[in-house]
This record gives sequence, C-alpha cells and structure tokens, in this order.
Amino acid sequence: MAEVESSTAAFEEDDHRVAYIFNAGQSPSQSQLQVVQTAATAATARPAKRRKVAKTTTIDAPKQQQAVVSGPAFPPLFNGAERPDAVQLRQDLFATAWPVLEARVQHVLRDANRTTLDEVAAFLQQAAAAETGKLTAGFIITGPNIASQDLLFEQLAERLGTADQATFVRLRASEAPNLKATWLKMIRDAMAKEGGEDGRKYLDYDLEALRVFLAQQQQRPPRVVVAFQDSEALDSGLLTDLMTLFHSWHDRIRFDVLFGIATSVELFQARLLKSTARQLYGAQFDVVQADSVLERVIKSAVAGTQAALRIGPSLLRSLVERQRDQVAGIQVFVSSLKYAYMCHFYANPLSVLLAGDGRLDSGLVQPEHFEAVRTLDSFKAQAEAAVEARQLNHAQSLIEDDQYLVGLILEQEQKRREYQTQLLRSLHILAAAGLSPSSFVELYMVALASGIDLSQASGTVPAEDAVRRLNPDEFLSLIDRVLKAIHAGSPELGLDAWESDADEFVAALADTRDEVEGLMARAKRNRTSLKSRYSAQSRVLRTTVVSQKVQLSRDTATLTAEDTAFTAAVDTLTALLAQNLHCDPVGRLFLHEAWVYDAKSPYRDVFVPRPAATVARALSRPHDYLACACCSQAAGGGLAATLPPTAILYQLYREAGALVNVADLWSAYYALVGGDDDESDVGLGERAALVCFYRALAELRLMGFVKQSKRKADHVAKLKWL
Amino acid sequence: MGTSMFQLPDELILTALTQTFLCREPQIRALGTLLYPGAAPCRNLVIHGTEATGKSAITAALLARLAAQTDDDEVGVRYAIVNSVECITSRHLYETVVGKVAGALEWEAAPPRCETVSQLTVELCKMLKYTPRPDGFRFVLVLDAIDRQRDAPHTLLPALARLSEIIPSLTTVFVVTAPSPNFLRTSFVPHVHFPTYTKPEFVSILSTSPPASLPNTSREETTDLWARFTAAIHDSLARAASRTLPTFRHACTALWPRFTAPIHAGTHTAREFSKLLIAARVHFQDETLLDPGVLVAITNPAPNPTISTTTTTTTTIQKPNPGADLASLLPTIPRLLLLAAYLASHNAARHDLVLFSTHHHGRRRRGGRGLSVGGARGAGPGRSKHRKIARKLLGAHAFVLERMLAIFAAVRGEWDPRGRGDDHGGEGDADIGMAIATLASLRLLVKVGGGVGGDVMDCGGKWRVNVGWEVIRGLGRSVGVEVEEWLIE
Ligand SMILES: Nc1ncnc2c1ncn2[C@@H]1O[C@H](COP(=O)(O)OP(=O)(O)OP(=O)(O)O)[C@@H](O)[C@H]1O
Ligand SMILES: [Mg+2]
Repeated sequence: MAEVESSTAAFEEDDHRVAYIFNAGQSPSQSQLQVVQTAATAATARPAKRRKVAKTTTIDAPKQQQAVVSGPAFPPLFNGAERPDAVQLRQDLFATAWPVLEARVQHVLRDANRTTLDEVAAFLQQAAAAETGKLTAGFIITGPNIASQDLLFEQLAERLGTADQATFVRLRASEAPNLKATWLKMIRDAMAKEGGEDGRKYLDYDLEALRVFLAQQQQRPPRVVVAFQDSEALDSGLLTDLMTLFHSWHDRIRFDVLFGIATSVELFQARLLKSTARQLYGAQFDVVQADSVLERVIKSAVAGTQAALRIGPSLLRSLVERQRDQVAGIQVFVSSLKYAYMCHFYANPLSVLLAGDGRLDSGLVQPEHFEAVRTLDSFKAQAEAAVEARQLNHAQSLIEDDQYLVGLILEQEQKRREYQTQLLRSLHILAAAGLSPSSFVELYMVALASGIDLSQASGTVPAEDAVRRLNPDEFLSLIDRVLKAIHAGSPELGLDAWESDADEFVAALADTRDEVEGLMARAKRNRTSLKSRYSAQSRVLRTTVVSQKVQLSRDTATLTAEDTAFTAAVDTLTALLAQNLHCDPVGRLFLHEAWVYDAKSPYRDVFVPRPAATVARALSRPHDYLACACCSQAAGGGLAATLPPTAILYQLYREAGALVNVADLWSAYYALVGGDDDESDVGLGERAALVCFYRALAELRLMGFVKQSKRKADHVAKLKWL
Repeated sequence: MGTSMFQLPDELILTALTQTFLCREPQIRALGTLLYPGAAPCRNLVIHGTEATGKSAITAALLARLAAQTDDDEVGVRYAIVNSVECITSRHLYETVVGKVAGALEWEAAPPRCETVSQLTVELCKMLKYTPRPDGFRFVLVLDAIDRQRDAPHTLLPALARLSEIIPSLTTVFVVTAPSPNFLRTSFVPHVHFPTYTKPEFVSILSTSPPASLPNTSREETTDLWARFTAAIHDSLARAASRTLPTFRHACTALWPRFTAPIHAGTHTAREFSKLLIAARVHFQDETLLDPGVLVAITNPAPNPTISTTTTTTTTIQKPNPGADLASLLPTIPRLLLLAAYLASHNAARHDLVLFSTHHHGRRRRGGRGLSVGGARGAGPGRSKHRKIARKLLGAHAFVLERMLAIFAAVRGEWDPRGRGDDHGGEGDADIGMAIATLASLRLLVKVGGGVGGDVMDCGGKWRVNVGWEVIRGLGRSVGVEVEEWLIE
C-alpha cells in the first residue's frame, strides 16, 4: 500500500497533460515555468507538494528521472481506475520488450557495414603499401540518407583508430565552411585537446602543430584519416584546395581521405579540377543496399519471434513504403518502431493481457478490462461466430461471465504463440523454397493482412502453379530446400529447428523425394525423360497454333507410367505444402488487439507532420477549432463576418490572383465586416476594421502567405500557390 | 683563407645538378652565381616560369648542396623554403617564415607570435642582423609560389622585398608564375626565367629514365624505342593534353605497356616502330588512359579502368549512365521533385497552364513532343528560321519554390501511379520538406540570389536545378517518364 501511496503522490491520472504557462509577472527577477494542472483534481490535491514536484520536473531533469524510477512512469488508464500493478506491468513489458529489439537492430546495422569496413581498411593498407605518391581516397557510396551514415563513420573511426593506429577525423560540411575552420577542427580533433606542449606555440590552424604532435606520439609515419561525411555539401573550391593541400603535405603527414558520397563518384569528380583529380588514388565502396538492410531489420526485429508486439500489416506497409519513397533512413524506421511500442504499452490497457510467463494472473484483471475486451472487434466477431455456430452457451458466457472470459484470455497467450510459430515457419519455408517471387517482407505483410493460402485461384500466395511447373530435378531440390529449412530453422527470425514438431510433414516429404528419385532412375533406364502432366501440357500449349484439342489429348496419351507417378508425386507435394503452409490473417484472431499495433495516424502525426496543411485548414475552417457559437453558420467553410479577420483574409486571398491589390482586399474585407448603415450594432467601425485588417495582413505575411511586391505599388504578391 | 673577390660555387655541384635536371644548365648556373656568397649574391631574386618547369625542385636541390658545401667553409649559407600554398593566412605565412628561419639557424628561443610584416621584420632582424655572424654569411629565404598566397594584403610582396634592404645578409627569393613588371616596387631585381620545355627537351629529359628492358630486346634498343615513342607521344598529345612534364611523363608511362604489348606477345620486334605505332593507334585515342579519373586504374591491361581494386559488389560503375546511377540512389519522391524542379527551370512560366492544367484530363496538350527535339537537332526545315537554341541546352533558370511544388503536385498523380488516390503524402508534409532539404544538401537543387545565406526556413528565395539534361533524362526514364514530352520551347 505504501508503494501505491507514493506513486499516487507523484503521478496522477492527468499528470501527463500539462500546460506550461510563462508567468513573468509573478516573480520578475527570475521568470519561471509553472506547471498547471488542467484537470480539476489539481485543485483538491496538496498544492505545496505539487509545486515542489513541478519545480524539480522543469528545472532539474536528471533528478526527475530518478523520481520516475521509483514508481511507474505510465499513467493509469481507464480514467485513472487502472490498478497500479497493471500499470507497472505495462511499463515493465515495455522496458523488457524494447531493449531486446534495439540490441538486435543495432547488431544488424553494425553487421551490415562490416564488409564495407573490411574493404575500406584493406584498401587503405594496400594503398599505403603501394607508395603511389598520390593521395589515397576512398569513396563510400552511402545513398542520400545522411543520417544513416553516422553509424558507418563511427565504426570506421573505431576500426581504423584501433587496427591501423591512424588518427581519425570526421568532418561534416557544416563544420568545414573554409580552409581555416577545417584545419582548426581537424587539428583540434586529432590532438584531442592534448594541451601542455612545450616550446613553440603554433597557430590554431597550423598543420605543423599536428605534425609535431604526431611525431611525439611516435607515429611513424604520421597518419591521419580524414572523413568527409557529406561530400556533396562541401564547397567545390574548398574541396580542390583541401585536396591540393593534403597532397602537398603528403611527405610530412600521410593523409588519407574518405568521402561519403550520396550521388555518384562521377558527379563528385566533375566538381574537381582535372589536375586535382589526378592527385587522387581512389576506390569506390558500396554500402549494403538500403533495401537489404531494411529486410534484415524487419526479419529480426519485426517479424522475428523476439518481437513482443506485432506491427500490423497496414502500419508496416506504410513504414516500408516510406522507406522506399522518401528520404527516411533506417534510423527513422527504427524510431517509428519504437514509437509504436511506446504507444501500445503506454496507451493500451489491454496490452497487459498477453503478458505471458505467468505474469498475468486473474487477480490483475479488473472489471474495466472485461468492459474493454467486450468492445473489441475481435470479441464481437468471436461472439457472432459463436451464435452463428449455434454455440449459444459459449456466446452467452462470453458476454456475461467474467470468469469464463478470464479463462479464455489466459488461453490466448498460448494461441498467440502457436499462431506466431505457424506464421513464421510457413514464411520461412516459402522464402527458402523460393516459391513466390515476392520478397520476405512483402510475404510477411501479405500473410499478416490476409493470411497464407497457396491455392492458385483464390490464395494470397499463389504458388501451386510454380510447384507444378517444376521438372524432376527442380522438384527434388525444392524438397531438399524445404527439408533444410525445417532442419536449420532461422536464427534471424529466432526460429529453432522444428523437425520434431513436424515429423509427419518431414516424413511425407522424404517419402515423396525417395519416390521421385526412384522414378528418375527408372526413366533413365528407359531412356525417357520424366515429366508431369502439367509440364507436358504446358509445352504443348505453347507450341500449338491450330487445333489445340487434338494435340492435347495426344500428349496426355503419351504419358508413361513413370510420368503418371511423377504427376501424382507433384500433386502430393502441392497438397502437402498447401496443408502445412497455412495461416490466418492476424485480424481474425481473438484478442489480437492486445498484441498487434496497427494504428497509422499517431505515427504519421509524429513522424510526418504537415504544418502547411494544418495551418491552411485552421484558417479555412476556424470554427472547427474555436467552436464558438457565433460562427456556427460558417462551419461549412463559407465566409462570415464573425470569423477571425485572418481567416476572412485567407478566404479572400485564396480567391485572388498572383498579385493582390491591397486596396481591393480592404474594400472586400470592409464590405464583409463593416456595418455602416443598416446593422450598425453588428458591424465594425472603419477604424476598428482597419486595425483588424492590418493585423490580419501582418499575420498572413508572418506565416509566409504574402509578401510586398516589388513589381507594383500597393500590391502584395501571393506566395502560396497550393 | 685568401679568397679572391669573385668565386663561383664548386663546379662539381653545378654539373651534378645539370645532370639531374637536364636542359636547365643556364638557370642553374645563374642561380648558383646569384645565391652563392662568394660570387654575386643579390638581395632579391625572382624566379619565374609556368607550371612544373622545375622552379621549386631546382631551387631546393641547389640550396641544399650549397648549404652542404659551405657548411664547413666560413662562407656559410643557410636557407629556408616556405611554400605559400600551405599557408592559410598571411599571418600563417609570417609565423611559418619565422619558424623555419629559426629552425635553420638552430635558434633556441621559441619564436613568438608574429602578426604583421613589421613584427616579422623585427624577429628576422633579431636572428639575422643583431646576432654576430661570420663574414660572408648569407641567409636565403625562398618564398615558393608567393603569388598564390591566400588572402595576402596587396602590400605583401613589396614589404617582403624590403626585408633584404634592412637585413644585409638576407637574400629573398620569390618564386612566381608570371611576374608583372615592377611588382616588388624596387629596382634592380634579377629575374631568372624557367621557360617551358620544347619537344627535344622533353624527349631528352625523359630519356634519362627509360623503362626496363623489353623481352628479346637489348638495353640500347629499348632506350631508342622509348625515345622515338616519347617523341611520337609528344607530337600527338602534348599540344592538347599533356603540356607539362609530369603529365607528359604520366601519359608516356600509361601508354607504354599498351604500346609494347605486341613486343611482349612476340608479334613485333622493337625495330618495327611504325607497325607498333599503328597497332597502338587505338590506345592513343583512348582518353580514359590519360585521364583515368579518381578511381584507381588497375595496372594489368584489362580494359576496364574504372573498376575498384577491391572485390566490391560494384555493378553500377561499369559504364556510367549518370541518370540511372542517381535513380538507384534516390527514393521516388525526391526523384519526382527533381524532375519537377527541372521542368520549372526549363519551361517558361507562361506555359505552365498549358502543360500542367488538368482541364482536358485524358489527353492533355503537351506541347513538347517533337518540338524541342526539332529545336535540338535544328533540322526542321520550317522551324530553323529563328535559329533558337533549345531551352534545355541553355542554362537552368531560377524559379520560386512554390512553383516547383505546384508542378510537383500537378504531375505527381500522373507520374507516380501509387501516389494517386492515396490519402497520405500531402503536399506540405514534412517528408516533402525533407526531400527538398536533401536535394539541396546534395547540391542537386541550389538556392540562388536573393535571400541566400541567412534563413533556411525562408521559402521566398529562388531556386535552380543543378543537374544536366542527360541525368534528368535517365532519371525520368527510371520512373517511366519521357521528360522531353513535358518541355516546351
Ligand atoms: N629538367 C628536369 N629534369 C627532370 N625533372 C624535372 C625537370 N624539370 C622539372 N622536373 C620535375 O618536374 C616536377 C615539377 O617540378 P617543380 O615542382 O619544381 O615545378 P614548379 O616549376 O615549381 O611548378 P609550380 O609552378 O607548379 O610550382 C618535379 O618532380 C621535378 O623534379
Ligand atoms: Mg613549385
């Protein structure tokens, strides 16, 4: 109880909903931020203590974190009725689930760069040995995403710094606006604030200082690797200067340069002088394609068994598409994942229901949980299905009996695991067998959204034809691949080998394989080639031009006994695969809402904000935000005198041409808001209207809609076209 | 030692130098006379000549030997060479000079800060003037490439020329490319000119370093072949591509393996010069050999100069199609934006309505098709009257960002089949902004004029596309768009 007490003291239902009010008048010497509770509960709570908490949270960030550790940082849901241990459990779930994934993702990302690192290091060594008298330059083609290069260059620094004993300096274009600044930064980084040098004092940007320093470090020959992360943004003139100088210093300090290149080496070279280009001894390195990194990350962190939360198919699809369409690096993908985890465990009280490992007991489940469960779509579907199937008792207990529901809920964890295993095994086999042209990620999304069904006509992953078309050799190798997949499992997905679970399937596969091998041997003895009905038929269909029918029947007649047997084997395999590679769409599972997160809009709001559209919408429909009584007739988007002046001007602005005459604008505005004769009590006087007008126009200008036109006096130019 | 009034430096030094640097005997002798304390030491000396004519190399070599010779003599020569190219600011130059001079004189005290020429003068006086030195002592200060000193005040050169007037034992040598008359603002400065090499000089310099003997060929034959080969190279290339000694040498060594390949193969002998020449004619025209680019050319004669040494998964670099390269790197939206930017840069704004309006939806009037092609080829009989240059061949025009966004919004639905009907991806969203920022940081899109500099958030300024027609065409094809159809003359 003590724990509960302390936690409620620090955090209440509405604690996360705070408004910061800048209150300068209260204490003029030091303006301070004060946290004001939006909820009425604040008034009843102990104000003195609250003030203290508020201060520490705003002023002393580290302390605040310590305070958080003591109680759950998540607010209780169900309008504050959620039990503290449930809250704690949600928080724990998040705290255990995410770091595991993050570690895996980091591992994948670092691993993806490994070959590139090896190649770069090898090249630098080889170039050092070659004694070309030129400046060694490595061009690392990283793609346009500058943020994702950070990790690569970090790793390069680690690698070259330790293995090759080279001093490694990273530079961004923003840190290198001119020669002096570049040298300054470079020397500072390389010497790592090793101050007390005796004797001569050098200028901050004198490379001689660096040489002396390196010589003191007994580096022989002194070696510095300079990496430019975003070479495109470097000024071309500076680039040439840098290369010339590096080259000219080459006999005293061995400079090697590395360039992160987003476009292509050709474009880079086009910016250099020919004479400078001639001084370079370069090689190009590609980092692993972003697609394949993404696939690996998805395999290990989204699809794999380690992932506690399933990212739903539509969210996943939009994440993947964003990776392909936009300049959003893999880091953005990872943070989107993290955000999904946060949202789920922070805001979904049902996320505790499938805690697993016996952490969820019936004591934790409270009435609100049942209420929430009964509103779920999957619950409704379940109940309706029960009614449909005439299991009326079951349906009734579902709706009325809480204890019955608890039992069901506790069962679901097991079901979820089974589903997940079945899904991943099927996908793994499908991918290993190469039966579908789509990539793993695509298959995964399809499987989640609509399940796996191999049938040719109606299935989500039509693969039957692919099996049927196989010739005997391919047929055997397909079986081998499937067996191998079962045998090896997939460490990437976190799947262990599952022969013992699937002994029937394995045995059937092995039988089919033996049979076909026997058939092949026999066919060889007969000097015929083994074919199935399907492959033979397709061949005929392709060659015939006239009277298909006749030739078709003739062809089937020529099938030998072995061919018929092979056809049977193909059918067996097709059936086997169809039967074993199968799963439902995730949306059809009872209670999947507890462990699938598929909401797109929170993610879009946070990661792809649309400020322009938001402002435009607010201006065109202010009533939606103000909810004032006066403008309700303008709620549809029309003009009304009571709208805020800026909104009125915005409407007029949208109807105007590229150049807006301010006088016209004013008269239009005044015609709307002014009320000279008839309704003088409603309308504004001219002076008041003019003030409003000017302020509104200034606001429009501030928001970047208009600017003073230079072409015509008394006109403003329209800046927004859309 | 009873020295005569006039004594030249040791003849051995001079002959040794003239042998390392052929065809430079007059210059070497002149320098020797003008720098040697025993001969006619001068105060200021200007060495000038175009790029890579041996100015730096010969001065350095000569001074090193003079200093070594006079080391135990009482007529001592000390020297310091400062390369101005390496000095970032003029202050850097002064400090480097002081540092180097102190180093050459083995001066113990750490040289202090030195911010102006007057401070430099003071420091040099301390070391050279007020410290007693033996008779005939001279210090030579070489300011290499001083005409290329960064942000030099315009008084720099005259001021430096005054140094030797203040310090009698100092000789200041200015190494420059082309001195303007009286640029030191002082009279009686001897100039030594290093002219560019002529063809026979090139050939004779190169013949001092012949390549290793060829198989089945004697040493003399190889040398002879090398000389004729270099002469031929000079005739065919030197005018255009390799005017300086290093580039000429590079061209010769790069072509030599190809040229002698028939000898290695045994099909020709070293005597058949003209046959060899004809056999190697292709290579003489191959520019990639002479200008291999920044990527390493592998020395074995596999005809693929742009392959990287390491076994990377490079498939894209074989024969670069610049557009395809970019296309594989850029995601879809930035690609479309870049295309829109190109259209904004290369179409006149008055045609926008015709091109992009959605009024006649099905078959919209694209003025482009054929029109711009005709303009480019200049073959259309009726159209050649005006002799207008195709707009796409002209430079890119600046446009306002909003116009590009409007074009993007207009064409997006048509170009990107997935973009249509999809609710997300509105015009003003952060992803578009990020794409534009990325394109700008890659310098594919540049901000011009007006409010450049300060405010990155300000979208009022003008922009220009910074990629050429070839790239854009490739890029357009990668998304299935013929950009040509969207251009109006
Ligand atoms: N006569 C010569 N014989 C042999 N080598 C020479 C000769 N002349 C020049 N070189 C070589 O040519 C190269 C370029 O010479 P150097 O750097 O001295 O030229 P420079 O005149 O100082 O050029 P810049 O004006 O560009 O500084 C050096 O490697 C030098 O050894
Ligand atoms: Mg020089």
